[in-house]
Amino acid sequence: MSRRGGGRVPAVVRRLLAPFVDRTVAERVVISLAAILLSVAVGFVIVLVSGRIATCTTAAWTMPVVGLGFCYDPVQVYVVLFNGALGYPFAVGDPGLLDPAWTPFNISLGLTLSETTLLIFTGLSVAVAFRAGLFNIGTQGQLVVGALATALTVLALAPLLPGGAGGGVVLVGVGTLAGAVGGGFWGAIPGALKAYADANEVITTIMLNFVAANVAYVLVLEVFRAEGSSVVATRYVPEYAQFVPWLFPSSSDFALLALLVAAGFIAGLYYLVEHTTFGYDLRTGGTQAAAAEYGGVNAKRTTVRAMTVSGALGGVGGSVWVLMSEGRWLESVPALGFDGITVSILAGNSPLGVLPAAFLFGLLKGGALEIGFQTDVPTELVGVLRGLIILFVAMPEFFRMAGRYAGLGSRGPGPEPDDVGGADTDGGEPDA
Amino acid sequence: MGVSRMRNPLAGVPMPILDDLIEDEYVRSLAVGIAGMVGLLAAVGLAFPASVAGDLAGIVFSTSTAASTARLAAPIVLAGLGGIFAEKSGVINIGLEGLLIISAFASVYVASVVGIGNAVLGVPAIWIGFLAGIAASTVLSAVFGVVCIEFKADQIIAGLAVWLIALGLAPFMSTVFFGGVNTPNLGARVSWRYSAVMVVVATLASWWALNRTAFGKHLRAAGENPKALDTVGVSVSRVRYAGVMVSGVLSGVGGSALALSIGQFVGSGETMVQGKGFIAIVAYLFGNYNPLGTLGAGVLFAGLDATQIRLQQLGYAVPDTLVQTIPYVVVIVVLALVGRTRIPAAAGDHYETEE
Repeated sequence: MSRRGGGRVPAVVRRLLAPFVDRTVAERVVISLAAILLSVAVGFVIVLVSGRIATCTTAAWTMPVVGLGFCYDPVQVYVVLFNGALGYPFAVGDPGLLDPAWTPFNISLGLTLSETTLLIFTGLSVAVAFRAGLFNIGTQGQLVVGALATALTVLALAPLLPGGAGGGVVLVGVGTLAGAVGGGFWGAIPGALKAYADANEVITTIMLNFVAANVAYVLVLEVFRAEGSSVVATRYVPEYAQFVPWLFPSSSDFALLALLVAAGFIAGLYYLVEHTTFGYDLRTGGTQAAAAEYGGVNAKRTTVRAMTVSGALGGVGGSVWVLMSEGRWLESVPALGFDGITVSILAGNSPLGVLPAAFLFGLLKGGALEIGFQTDVPTELVGVLRGLIILFVAMPEFFRMAGRYAGLGSRGPGPEPDDVGGADTDGGEPDA
Repeated sequence: MGVSRMRNPLAGVPMPILDDLIEDEYVRSLAVGIAGMVGLLAAVGLAFPASVAGDLAGIVFSTSTAASTARLAAPIVLAGLGGIFAEKSGVINIGLEGLLIISAFASVYVASVVGIGNAVLGVPAIWIGFLAGIAASTVLSAVFGVVCIEFKADQIIAGLAVWLIALGLAPFMSTVFFGGVNTPNLGARVSWRYSAVMVVVATLASWWALNRTAFGKHLRAAGENPKALDTVGVSVSRVRYAGVMVSGVLSGVGGSALALSIGQFVGSGETMVQGKGFIAIVAYLFGNYNPLGTLGAGVLFAGLDATQIRLQQLGYAVPDTLVQTIPYVVVIVVLALVGRTRIPAAAGDHYETEE
């Protein structure tokens, strides 16, 4: 298993390194921030260059000194992106800066936090698998299955239960559980295939994404389609069985309660991964498969369990998508599962890191809408930024080199425990 | 690369490429795959009335299906061949999808800038576009190579980033230049026959390059036993750069062929590439890194897709989506039965030259 490989780093070195683990965490945070800044800088250049190519009547921005005119104003783009995603708390140009009329409970921030909430679940889903040395690209499919399971369960149970708050609580609870079971089942398949048939999980999860999307589509189209609906969608679940949008306007599709639940999941998962036997098995299986096996960890069972937990988290993400955002299952499921991969990577696969990472990508999503409203710059810019962030996060060595070059602390090229899930050792093939 | 200088430099180095085993496993996987495919198709045929089965047969053997199969197979097979070169050299290139997207857009963009009907140095605009698509893909693959080889990035994540960047950049540029994520139609296209010829030629050339040249030998050594390659004085990094760049060139041919066979770039949603880069990865794994197997798998997937599109046109709403699902299910079943394909031993690992 070259992906998980045996230890290149001797145990003694690891033990010596242990006290410095905090340094690697700090280093990772620095690298993530540097990656974001570098992407912003590259995005700046892209906006400038494309603004030079695009045609417009008046220049939106003129380069100082040189006097060249550009169609897009890169400074404005970023101001709109981050300010707009929060609902414009900063009055640009005003001496007071903070706009007194601003309230946190606005639509834009609601949309941003709604996206953040959903990305927390999918980010956690990917992170758990990553920690076990498994690359779960299938969170998208697990989310689709979980969402459908939630919608159908709630729709089926609603007539049997009393309406109102009491019935609503039960329906939301059971619906979310159904999502977890559906997603967990869909995640357990590639887990079992990996454990017992040695089928590469990257391939099987990609395939299962397509299968989930197609099968769910056909099921809803043929069996569960709402009458008179112009799109392929189920009926709406009852209003009382949806997350209630406290404080925020209901058009923002955001419920504070869901974000709190998501935060609870982060805490729970952090505990599970870092402080339980299962978490220990998971982590050792991810970094040192052979050693873990030798130490009595049942690697196959851990693989299946990790993928089941990962899938269940994706499924809960689907539940929240149905019960908070849409109110029904809809054919055009947003690519939350794929975005979860980027969230997890930026978070260094740490459950705690998922919160800021999900918020950043939530900001980008909310900001993209504002860019569309307020500027001429195509909103696809945000997609480019996302890709750049991931590219730069993937190359820590670049920042270490840059740091050494700039003389900023000599972070030696010592063996860094690299559990970003990828191949990190050149260990042999124990199973060959 | 010293192709002529070095006659069989690795003759004495044991390389764990067990030809017999791989051939055996490869034949088995393809046999099981095709049997499963035919079986499932037959099941679908039996499940539906004879008229549908009749339609299906008519579709499978029609010229228009052959044409669209060639059109759809080009990006899958060519990117798959490129993926073999990269992965054999030790760099897993999961960003093939991004390379296809960027070349599809660049080819249409440059062709429209030159202007259909114009020519540069006697080369018609559409072929200038074709070359531009290849260039764009090669440049992006070179960036990927630098990130992976020079900066030791995690290859899977960097490949994912290549996909995401292209997925954002192509529609972004399209909007900047044309005012929408879809480009206008060029009003000219490359015939599907060119696609078919390119696919066959590239497959044979890849097979020859991988199995009959010193370059192919170096590639395999860089992926299986980089230290041995280093020992005989060949730069592992250079061989890996070559492998990654070849994947860029081949994916560029595939992406350009895809877009120019329609004459338009479609950038909405997952773009017109629609996961063909990922299917390409499946195709070469399915073909167990053998170009001929990749061709077989790619044509099989594309053929199913083409059949499905024709079914849609005939108004069969349900079977299409399910027919479309068949290749994915078959891949899972085959992977489960045959087990993991044997990836090159050092694929995914960085190699440090020892002074």
